[in-house]
Amino acid sequence: MVDLGSGEGAGQVDADRARRVAWVASRIMPHEPGVRRWLARSRLPHDQIDDLVQEAYCRFAAMASLDHITQPQAYFFQIIRSLIVDKMRQARVVRIETVTEIEALPVITDEPSSERIVAARRELAEVMLLISQLPDRCRSVFQLRKIEGLSQKEIAAKLGVTETIVENDVAKGMRIISRALREGPDRNLALAVKKDDEKRRDRRRD
Amino acid sequence: MRRGETAEEIDDAAFAWVARLDRLDLTSDLQAELEQWLAVDTRRQGAFLRAQAIWQSLDRASRIDAQPEINDVTGRVSPGPERELRRPARRAWIGGGGALIAACAAGLVWQANEGGAISTARGEVRHVPLPDGSTMLLNTQSRVRVAMRPHERRLKMSSGEAWFQVQRDPARPFIVEVGSVRVRAVGTAFSVRQRDLGVEILVTEGVVEAWLVGREANRIRLSAGQKAMVAETSPIKQLDTAPSELDRRLAWRSGRIDLAGETLAEAVEEFNRYNARQIYVAQPELNSRKLYGIFRVDDPDGFSRAIHYSLNAQISTSNSLIIIGG
Repeated sequence: MVDLGSGEGAGQVDADRARRVAWVASRIMPHEPGVRRWLARSRLPHDQIDDLVQEAYCRFAAMASLDHITQPQAYFFQIIRSLIVDKMRQARVVRIETVTEIEALPVITDEPSSERIVAARRELAEVMLLISQLPDRCRSVFQLRKIEGLSQKEIAAKLGVTETIVENDVAKGMRIISRALREGPDRNLALAVKKDDEKRRDRRRD
Repeated sequence: MRRGETAEEIDDAAFAWVARLDRLDLTSDLQAELEQWLAVDTRRQGAFLRAQAIWQSLDRASRIDAQPEINDVTGRVSPGPERELRRPARRAWIGGGGALIAACAAGLVWQANEGGAISTARGEVRHVPLPDGSTMLLNTQSRVRVAMRPHERRLKMSSGEAWFQVQRDPARPFIVEVGSVRVRAVGTAFSVRQRDLGVEILVTEGVVEAWLVGREANRIRLSAGQKAMVAETSPIKQLDTAPSELDRRLAWRSGRIDLAGETLAEAVEEFNRYNARQIYVAQPELNSRKLYGIFRVDDPDGFSRAIHYSLNAQISTSNSLIIIGG
């Protein structure tokens, strides 16, 4: 029995996977809002931005090793940039200011300034603050799981609900946080919650 | 790209997986099910990695500020201050580039009231406050002689393009003279550009009248949103334009060239008005390609790079020339 993240007795594969997740969480995710803002400024529509960001994470998932990446932020932008160029080559109608914008951003040779690192971390920290603003039971679940370190099973017992409900709250909380991360932490979390409720109403499964 | 599931739907499924894996021990059955889900679409692998990263970063929520580990500097020389400053500067044009105009205005308050000529170099846009309270914005390579008289304000343009915001004064008509073309305003805003084929007039506010010397009876009235081409050799053409079209045509006021379906040939002609570094199209078949986008007038390199990517054209450059295609 192996936790996907812990790698206990599971050999190198799980350990690598866990290391990769940790690296992405600390080195890549903090820059996601910046990447999204940059893409939004290039007037790309929302769904295309979602696709690009997702594909960039695919690249990180597919790489044999991440050890060679010494400048994750620049690398993140670089991946997005090459994805856009690929798409532009395929597309027939192209808004060329997208390219100008991309060209204008000197990320490849840029060393991240300490201010920007601090800003990126603050941004992530703001997203994390969102835990405290999650809807009631969802918030309790996240606090018990992430701050007190209880298992989902223990949380279910403590709150007097089924484990499935706890699991669904975990998924729901992540959806809301992801949506807030996507739209920038300054966006209204209530909006992300409302959107989530609306979306789930139709395709609910229990 | 593959469609079907949206990025958001894939994300949601990935969160469900992470929540489930957090609850259950990973049996080989569950592992197989996960592998199967991931194998269907590579996008799912990205979404799953991101979902795991979000889940894990929540662990760090309480101690993120204490982490010294995020340090990407690899020992190279750190950027100088001008490097850091350049970034916002390069972006400034997106917001409207008013800085360019302000910078020009700061250096110049024009005071003469009779016979003073004002001109701009290539690439220069100059904001000229006139003594009557009107404003003249002079585009690249333009020359205007200003004469403020008691009963008339007369501006004689010998080359180029200018936009005027006219202080209302019914007793003193405001007349722009370009060759034999006259444009008269009372209180209004409009632009006048000398082109090969004639004089182009765009009206942004109010009403102007335009006519040719000797043919005063055939004067036209243009109101906001209209443009006209006035020439000796052809009848006056008067057209309505959309407000967005006017803004586009006057984008030079904020240092921009705004293309919306103009051909490469037209765009190149525009850039060459502003820059000593001229663009030359060596592959004539590219000339008719239509372009969309907003550029800085002083960035022909950025423009040519965009052309390189969007038209898949070779670009070669030297100090004085940018060659597209060929």
